[in-house]
Amino acid sequence: MKKLKILYLIPLLLLGGILLASNYSNKKSDYISLKEKTIHPPKNKDNFDKMMDVLTHPRCMNCHPSDNIPKQGIESHPHYFGMEGGKNDQGFEATKCMTCHQTENNNYSGVPGAPHWGLAPQSMAWKGLTRQEIAAVMLNKETNGGKNHEEIIKHLTEDDLVLWAWNPGVNAAGIKREKPPVSQEEFKEVVEAWFADGAIIPEK
Amino acid sequence: MKIAFSINNKDVSVDILDGNTPLLWVIRDILDLKGTKFGCGKAACGACTLHVNDVAVRSCSYAVKFAEGKNITTIEGLGNAENPHPVQQAWIEEVVPQCGYCQPGFIMATAALLKENNKPTDEDIDKNIINICRCATYYRMRKAIHRAAELTRETKI
Amino acid sequence: MSKNISRRKFLVRGGLGTLGVLAIGTYVLRNPIRRQIIDFADSFIAPYSGTGTEPNLWFEITKNNTIVLHSPKVEMGQGTFTGLAQIAADELDINIDQIEVIAASTASGVVDSLGTGGSLSVASLWQPLREMAATMREMIKIEAAKKLQIPLANLSTKNGIVSSNNQQISYVDAIKEVTEWKIPDTPKLKDLKDYKLVGKPIARIDLKTKVFGNSIFGMDAEMENMLHAAIIRPEHIGATFKSANYQKAEKMPGIVKVVQIDDWVGIIAETYAQALAAKMEVDVEWNIPKIWTEEDIRTLISVGNGSEMVVQKEGNLLEKDDKNILEIEFKSPLGAHAQMEPNGAVASFKDGKITVILSTQVIGITQNQVAKAFAIDKDNVNIIPTYLGGGFGRRLNTSHAIQAVQLSKEIGRPVKYFFTRKEEFQNDMFRPPTHHIMKGKLNSDGLIENLEHHFASGNVAIDSTLMPGIAHTILGADFGAIRGGSIHYSAIKNIRSIQWHKTLPFATSWWRSLGLLANTFAIESFVDELALQSNKNPVTLRLAQIKDNEEGVRLKNVIEKAAKESKYSDEVVNGRAMGFACSTDTGTPCAQVAEVSIVNSEITVHKITCVMDCGIAVNPDQVKAQCEGAMIMAMSASMYEKMYIEDGQLQPTIFGPYDMALLKHTPKEINIHLLQGVDKPLPVGEPPLGPIAAAIGNAVRRITGQRLTEMPFKLS
Repeated sequence: MKKLKILYLIPLLLLGGILLASNYSNKKSDYISLKEKTIHPPKNKDNFDKMMDVLTHPRCMNCHPSDNIPKQGIESHPHYFGMEGGKNDQGFEATKCMTCHQTENNNYSGVPGAPHWGLAPQSMAWKGLTRQEIAAVMLNKETNGGKNHEEIIKHLTEDDLVLWAWNPGVNAAGIKREKPPVSQEEFKEVVEAWFADGAIIPEK
Repeated sequence: MKIAFSINNKDVSVDILDGNTPLLWVIRDILDLKGTKFGCGKAACGACTLHVNDVAVRSCSYAVKFAEGKNITTIEGLGNAENPHPVQQAWIEEVVPQCGYCQPGFIMATAALLKENNKPTDEDIDKNIINICRCATYYRMRKAIHRAAELTRETKI
Repeated sequence: MSKNISRRKFLVRGGLGTLGVLAIGTYVLRNPIRRQIIDFADSFIAPYSGTGTEPNLWFEITKNNTIVLHSPKVEMGQGTFTGLAQIAADELDINIDQIEVIAASTASGVVDSLGTGGSLSVASLWQPLREMAATMREMIKIEAAKKLQIPLANLSTKNGIVSSNNQQISYVDAIKEVTEWKIPDTPKLKDLKDYKLVGKPIARIDLKTKVFGNSIFGMDAEMENMLHAAIIRPEHIGATFKSANYQKAEKMPGIVKVVQIDDWVGIIAETYAQALAAKMEVDVEWNIPKIWTEEDIRTLISVGNGSEMVVQKEGNLLEKDDKNILEIEFKSPLGAHAQMEPNGAVASFKDGKITVILSTQVIGITQNQVAKAFAIDKDNVNIIPTYLGGGFGRRLNTSHAIQAVQLSKEIGRPVKYFFTRKEEFQNDMFRPPTHHIMKGKLNSDGLIENLEHHFASGNVAIDSTLMPGIAHTILGADFGAIRGGSIHYSAIKNIRSIQWHKTLPFATSWWRSLGLLANTFAIESFVDELALQSNKNPVTLRLAQIKDNEEGVRLKNVIEKAAKESKYSDEVVNGRAMGFACSTDTGTPCAQVAEVSIVNSEITVHKITCVMDCGIAVNPDQVKAQCEGAMIMAMSASMYEKMYIEDGQLQPTIFGPYDMALLKHTPKEINIHLLQGVDKPLPVGEPPLGPIAAAIGNAVRRITGQRLTEMPFKLS
């Protein structure tokens, strides 16, 4: 548990001056040993790539569109029947995401489901962005819904909707949906490690 | 497992082995309300649309366990000949149905729309009413939806 | 049938027959809020009278003095019950709210041996039903005369009451104690102008039951002590059963029995959801002799392949090396019925008697097939039709009735089963793909000198349950596939219509309007192209190519009316163009004008003007409803729909991927004008499917220069 906390705090300290309020570092500075602040550039790049392999996978990208239109399937076709995110990313006034999508997958219909199923907010539109740009949008409090690094890590590794990517259920034909190329456990590790290494966006 | 909910303002409790059973089949086969139709079982056609706590839901893709404690309305509870819902009234005025099979789903979807928006534009209708009608009664449906909106507004005043 | 009706004694049902129907009726309509049929249980029913060998039945009079018409035709949305009610009520001298219509079952009444289809219900019953109703009215009057002791000639009928100057008696009171009917010769029918209901746009009689969710479809039918079943069928074209492992499924909750019959596995359970859950746990291996491809199908269905039949021949064939020939190739894909109510049946096989409740367009054929399959007398098979959740020709084949009976036989209890949507898509009796080569030439006046339609199609009528196998040999052509395939420009000197036929490795069959959809698309798109080539207004050119015989004049009238009402113009205004097309189907000419523009790279149809001459429109509002639905269905088929073959399977298997017209695709304006060129009702439900595809294509041609030649349409 202690290790985990430290991992969270490293990026907070590193970027403290730029992004984060200084009160975080003040309070928790005694947890940090200088040794652990060392950055490993090649490892950082590797972690970043793995993290982005997941984030750019259709399981994630399909609900981070840039046109407010959810995508479906591994080939990311526009959602059938003209469904859109609507004004609040939850579908149209009456025909909402939750008209069909519940809080868990439905094996009878093949309709996927998870808590608060819906589109990512427009500010988190990833489609069409490079991996570097996606990371920048994700780290930016202006676009990420005011999340600090700790909260971003939490979202990426604990949010039910994000974790759905590894429990995507079956499609309408009863065939299992493809999971992201990195396992949930490894994803958690690389995300934490990347943030621990300073959440540095490597050059292309 | 026992699941208790209210359906058409009546409290019911069903005893069912598998809580993942689609609500549609519980309503049709156990509660014997046959107005909610099976069209595809994949939440694609909308024939099974009903309301769960006033929200349009496609019941073929809704596990009955989620119904616990909820208020469910089906076509049978929306209105009747003596007291038709404005959407049903408008459907009658415009003589919408042909084979009639998909109509309860459309009527429920429309009732949900008018609850949120009692003056839908054509575009609002196009976006929200995406059920399928093979007889293609769509032309009259659009007229009926506008008429139902009018009736809804009159009722509220 | 029509001429002999007046000599035929018809029977008014009583006692036993009634109970038989009601016993089943109450299962079908178990819920007390269902239709008023329950009222029949305690209603007064006129006593049985007749020879006893023909349990034919048309009318029942209830104690509330309403009349129930047992329709030989089913109601699948086409409004037939309403049309028949209007026709019967007018001759019976009752009001529309005094008549109710239910579909006759094989045990309870007259069913049409040809089924319900071909848009013929109202047209074919127009004469016999009026005669039946008029005779019934006279029979009631005869009884009233006896009761009131007033000469028959002094009696008149109105609103279900027989009256003289100073006395009156309701129909039901007049016939209450009748044990033996006197059946007079058919009386003179009323003049058309004296009909109060025929010709009026009255509301559908099934309107309210459908709006309040009370109507009973095949899917809603039940029998007492019934079990549910799900079925696993081969997914690959031509696959047969090899082996199955259902040990796990058999142990699942609610599973009563898993059976393997022919090329399918049936899972019988206490509830449908249980059967469905167990179905996911059954592994079946299939023999797959061949992986069919899309290419295979296209090769099979191509002009020049298969058997050839000359459908139409006038004058000369075009010379091969004539440089002035215009030639265009057209194609249409495999299409699904996609009716909203899946097929299925509730069946009971007990003590040598079979009862099946289902949505069927062919009650009599279903009865024969079931009787044959189980080698029992057909009198022991009762087929009870319900409302149909769409027909469109799909329910002309009901082999699933036999499967349901097999399941009931296996388990000794009634069983209900129905197709999943995937089964529905993979086991449809599809609209076959077609291939057309149109050839033509203009003369020096810019008129059409030669017009040839060479076309290929899979089975429509051939090998279908409606047609005996020998029909093909006798008829030569597939008369379903040739619908709309003849050239209706009778003034053209040199005409050919030649059909090529081949049977596909999966069932293709009747799909609303049969060949009309694709054939009209090819012919009318091509004629439009010739009009452009000759620099003539397409309306003018069409009118110039039609002879002035009766059929020709009626076609010209709808063309002229459509041009006038739509203010047809060849000009493209603000990106919006009109397209014109027409066809004659089963004697009903129809012309349509589509107003189209391209919005966000998509073809958008803003307005359709439709003019149709269907003779007497028994219910003009429902005739218009048929036009609206038929045109949008044809739009859907030509703009969006397509089945294809992938990995040896028919795809797709769900709505969405099977793209169909939705409300948003529907034109905002549809204007329909009905002409009455003849004094009888003609088919209505299919003719309007003809012109729309070409009308849209012709408009697109004017906007973009692109000639659309393949359904579903794609802009280049």
